[in-house]
Amino acid sequence: MLEGRLVVLRPREASDVDRYHAWINDREVTRFLVMRYPVSHAAEEAWLAHRGSAPMGYSNVGFAIDTPDGVHIGSIDFHHASPEDRAARLGIMIGDKAYWSKGYGTDAMLTLLRFGFEEMNLNRIDLTVDERNGRAITCYRKCGFVEEARLRQDRYAEGAYHDTLIMGILREEWLARQATEEAR
Amino acid sequence: MIEGTLVNLRAMEMADLERNARWINDREVTRFLSLRYEMSLAAEEAWMRERVTQPVSWQNPSFAIETKDGRHIGNVNLFNVAAEDRKAELGIMIGEKDCWSKGYGSDAVRTLVRFAFDEMNLNRVQLHTYAYNERAIAAYRKAGFVEEGRMRAFHYTEGAYHDAILMSVLREEFAHQM
Repeated sequence: MLEGRLVVLRPREASDVDRYHAWINDREVTRFLVMRYPVSHAAEEAWLAHRGSAPMGYSNVGFAIDTPDGVHIGSIDFHHASPEDRAARLGIMIGDKAYWSKGYGTDAMLTLLRFGFEEMNLNRIDLTVDERNGRAITCYRKCGFVEEARLRQDRYAEGAYHDTLIMGILREEWLARQATEEAR
Repeated sequence: MIEGTLVNLRAMEMADLERNARWINDREVTRFLSLRYEMSLAAEEAWMRERVTQPVSWQNPSFAIETKDGRHIGNVNLFNVAAEDRKAELGIMIGEKDCWSKGYGSDAVRTLVRFAFDEMNLNRVQLHTYAYNERAIAAYRKAGFVEEGRMRAFHYTEGAYHDAILMSVLREEFAHQM
């Protein structure tokens, strides 16, 4: 269990399935994610069983995001972790819309960044984000991510092509940020 | 067979095995690729058999590159082809080093990109390469690719972290060039 200021990150359990199933079928939640097709309860159950039954490790880092009083509000993970490059890609979803824009996502990000750099010994963490997802971009900037690339017409949704941004944060930037925080 | 100006693209065959195995164990070739570990002939054979026994298709657009006189000099392919976004990533290797810097790579890329737009009906073709691979970056520019950004410290090799350059060509841009 990883403790942040506003959230706790814990392993995902099979018993989380109803919430995941509801979130990933909610178009307001998935509109900026790579998900596109509806997902059955059975498919979601199989996915959770598959992800949840393997122990977490370098190439299987996925957490449920809980509030300190145990309300499950979302999900955060690393994928494509490359041990030689010491790099991984981060994905996050706050599925419970009541918890949007209140700092929970930012805190979950900072908590997983700390784990990535200070426990997994990563050197680079990056993510992709739909150019229209201003709320997320602001959050990622606040966490120290820098825009590195704009993939033109990368993603088709809602009748049009949209650009995708790639944002990254390096270990040295994370450490500098921690040093500034401590000095405060 | 897909005809370019300097090269043709054809389906890969098991007869290409010895050359492929030689190329991907040649560090001068693979230092520009994401390949890092040597590969046994058996592993390469298994990998090729999987490719070669399925038809070249939307799921498997991979080709051998031949000069006009029939010499197999490298491979080029698309991967991560996304139907809804109409996009794909491109990978290329010119394994025969005496064929470097002679325009074969650019022509193979241009030929496959034309196929991607005109036959597969894609909208975007992207690739990434390492910042130290200046020869490739020049070739991709020549083939119509535009730089979209730089992923810092993306790839570790030869004792240091290196940036990766993202490049793409869009359907509307490519049509204008031709």
